[in-house]
Amino acid sequence: MNDQKGGNTGITRRDFIKVTGAIVIVAGIGGCGATDESPTPTNTPSPTSTPVPTDTPETGQILVTPDLIPPADGYLLVDIEKCQGCLSCMLACSLIHEGVESPSLSRIQIMQNSFASFPDDLTIEQCRQCVDPACVMVCPTGALAADANFGNVRIVDREKCIGCGLCFEACPFTPSRAFLAADEAYDGQAKSRKCDLCANAPYHWDEAGGGPDGKQACVAVCPVGAIVFTAEIPRQEGDRGYKVDLRERNWGKLGYPTS
Amino acid sequence: MDGYAGKILRLNLTERKVSTIPTSDYEQWGGGHGMGSAIFFDLVKDKTIDGLDPGNVVTIMTSPLCGTLVAAAGGRTEVQGIGVQSYPIGWFTRSNFGGRFSAMLKYAGWDGIVIEGAADEPVWIDIRDGEVQIRDCTELSLWGKDTWDTQQSIWSDVAGGDGYGDWFEPSGKDGADASSAGATTQRPAVLTIGPAGENLSRVACLVHDASNAAGQGGFGAVWGSKNLKAISVIGTGHVEINDPKALLSTRLWHKENYAFNLADLKETWGTFQFQSPPAPIILWEKGRPKIDQRPQACMGCHSGCRARYQDASGNEASCIATSFYFDAKTLDIQRTASDLLNRYGLNAVEMMWGMWYLGALAYEGLLWTGDIPECPLDWEAYGSEEFVEQLVKMVAYGDDGKGNESDFGKDISGGFVRAAEKWGRREVDLASGLLPFPYWGIPLHKEPRAQVYWGYGTLLGDRDINEHGFDWIKAVASGAQGEGAESHATGLVKIVTDKMVPYQGDMDMLDFSESNIYSEHMAKMVSWQRYYTRFWKQSMLFCDSRWPDFINIHRPDFIGATGMVEPEYAKAVTGKDLSFEDGINIGRKIWHLDHAIWTLQGRHRDMVHFADNVYEEEPLFPAEVPNVFLPGKENGKWGYYGYSYRTLDRDKFDDFKTRFYELQGWDTATGYPTRAALESLGLGYVADELEDNGKLGESS
Repeated sequence: MNDQKGGNTGITRRDFIKVTGAIVIVAGIGGCGATDESPTPTNTPSPTSTPVPTDTPETGQILVTPDLIPPADGYLLVDIEKCQGCLSCMLACSLIHEGVESPSLSRIQIMQNSFASFPDDLTIEQCRQCVDPACVMVCPTGALAADANFGNVRIVDREKCIGCGLCFEACPFTPSRAFLAADEAYDGQAKSRKCDLCANAPYHWDEAGGGPDGKQACVAVCPVGAIVFTAEIPRQEGDRGYKVDLRERNWGKLGYPTS
Repeated sequence: MDGYAGKILRLNLTERKVSTIPTSDYEQWGGGHGMGSAIFFDLVKDKTIDGLDPGNVVTIMTSPLCGTLVAAAGGRTEVQGIGVQSYPIGWFTRSNFGGRFSAMLKYAGWDGIVIEGAADEPVWIDIRDGEVQIRDCTELSLWGKDTWDTQQSIWSDVAGGDGYGDWFEPSGKDGADASSAGATTQRPAVLTIGPAGENLSRVACLVHDASNAAGQGGFGAVWGSKNLKAISVIGTGHVEINDPKALLSTRLWHKENYAFNLADLKETWGTFQFQSPPAPIILWEKGRPKIDQRPQACMGCHSGCRARYQDASGNEASCIATSFYFDAKTLDIQRTASDLLNRYGLNAVEMMWGMWYLGALAYEGLLWTGDIPECPLDWEAYGSEEFVEQLVKMVAYGDDGKGNESDFGKDISGGFVRAAEKWGRREVDLASGLLPFPYWGIPLHKEPRAQVYWGYGTLLGDRDINEHGFDWIKAVASGAQGEGAESHATGLVKIVTDKMVPYQGDMDMLDFSESNIYSEHMAKMVSWQRYYTRFWKQSMLFCDSRWPDFINIHRPDFIGATGMVEPEYAKAVTGKDLSFEDGINIGRKIWHLDHAIWTLQGRHRDMVHFADNVYEEEPLFPAEVPNVFLPGKENGKWGYYGYSYRTLDRDKFDDFKTRFYELQGWDTATGYPTRAALESLGLGYVADELEDNGKLGESS
């Protein structure tokens, strides 16, 4: 189970920038059209403005530079050795976002193999709210963006999403954290889904709601506490920042390994 | 239909035909067992056929709660059909398994599967969402493979070249765009037989993942007789939930108030209770492996009851699968023995008692006497891995365990009671208890002299009940002796009996003293357990590891959530206002339908009796050492008393049967259902069929 995608597309996030070479910055509401040259921004983009190109972008074209995307105020950390493989997190995620139970609509994915050896028998693959989010950078409509209303969590606005799948291709992790699925609210059109730390969860159970200031369903429901929320930016390289040890002393009392 | 997928898959293997039954046709039965019994009744005209007859229908049913966040109710699947394990008649029976099969079936858009007929060549069923194919086993060389290899072969086929670890679309490949074909990262859920089922061993079972098994009934052989090797399902769809906020709120509240708390553990061992922490319930005689491991849980469960290990041996094995081969020399051999049962697809409890029986015969020097064929086992090697591997293969292949013909192997492959029958030993060994199969050729589980909820329920039904709802009381009871026992017992009995609607208020339902175990109070207790389990556990599929929740140590008043939370969950998922008592009443209806089927199969009250030793001897060895303590009133005083060392009274038990039949409204002369009882439950058509077959009882 790879964390860095190399197989399916053969392109990593850094390759996008190198290969295409064109960085288009579009600023303002109804702003400039995309050109082959790097245009000078006509006004300083504000955190609430969403870059909107008027031309269809070429595949892999970066539309927003990393330094314009503030880091998110929240992240999920997981302990893959603690996980009991019940998939409650996946069921809770799809439930509050879509109102149905479906692992295929879950923004967090647990994959497991009954016949394999611990700890390689299971992995938890959560969205990392990357500091340099490839999915945001390639979105041609700005549907997937850092949402300042929710602590800059990288959120899909499904109204703007055109289902092009560039976010799915761009995510450097396997499985892609942004994925397409038919959306009943839009007559079955494909729309991107991605972890929003429960910011836009129409069926959120708590009055406080979600987002970095609120509650996440996966964190709340996990029976063993294998998922936690943090406001601190995790180490971006490799897995160590996101796959951590959450096993406390009492875990050992149940006969499970602690470090 | 919130909770339900809306359609049931119907497969005719003889004609290789795939069709659909609308779930709404059977919605009144809830799901699981109720639907299975009703469908079986409708589809099988001649209920006297043998389980291996192509006319046998096997149902594999989910509930509206499967695949959802209802605590410990999201992952179980109920299998039913005419079984081949019980003796002398293979009763229409049930078996049930956990894991993720039922959930995946729901996501594929199916509430269940109905299997009719028999294929002319070995086949497997490939379900990918709405696409259903009956495929020959030759493509993947599945026939002959063990259950683990079969599943992994199917996984490779469904994933295609890239294996697992990424999103993929299992169906609708050609020309389908992302919006029509669903994607998943999950492996298919597969239910399969091993070599034992292929060779029609009556001890054969169905296996899913590493150690989820529908163990009882010999369904492995039933599938084998249909040339059905496996059913694989992968679903990318969803279960509609009536009130998503209520479901998650209920689940979180329920967990907060009734489940274990890692920060404040009240117990550190796994038990069959809702309150249990996720420590594996393993009974390997040499203990729990002290190697790295994780807990592993079925779909949506709040507290897993098994584990996966750093050497992958014994993965997901729990409870009875780990009780096998307790005389093994090492823990590693015991774990391997569990793996062997799972790989070959064999019923763990029958293998455990069967091995014990052979060992007892060997020890007594009887194994080489009379009509017993030559035994290929080397008893000097008992305790070794070679010994258990040979025994497992003997039962799976009906040979000497090394590929050579053996009458002994053939005999035990048909189950140990039938083997004893062949050897002219069945009656004498049942009478003495040397053959520990006290009812219907079914292996011993709990002490029938003490734990009458278990023995009576089993004998009046079709199989070992395997319902632990009252059974944990014995553990509590053995600890609570001496001063304070009286108030402890009355407190416990009150809490539990208060939940036993509509019989609440009758504390004598849990008085296990000699003077009470044949009473109408006991008839009510047994009836309640039949109704509750038929609906809430076997139809709505609340798992036996965690339900019912009678007494809960996390509550200040110790009162568990059963009776209150099940309907809340059911309402959040389905939108239906179904009370706990409504469910009990549906359970009663299901129980009456099942009994009608057994009556059509040939049941009469005169057949309903325990093996002689239960009446004539104290236990040869108690099913639970050293004694089972249960609540009882002795000299008018409640307390906990040890009740294993007594015998049941044959005549008084016969009187008990009469009381039980009266409570059901059945003909006490025969035990047959009556028209009055059936019609009061809307089952007039069932009465008609009984009447046509001369099996309708007379109302008094």
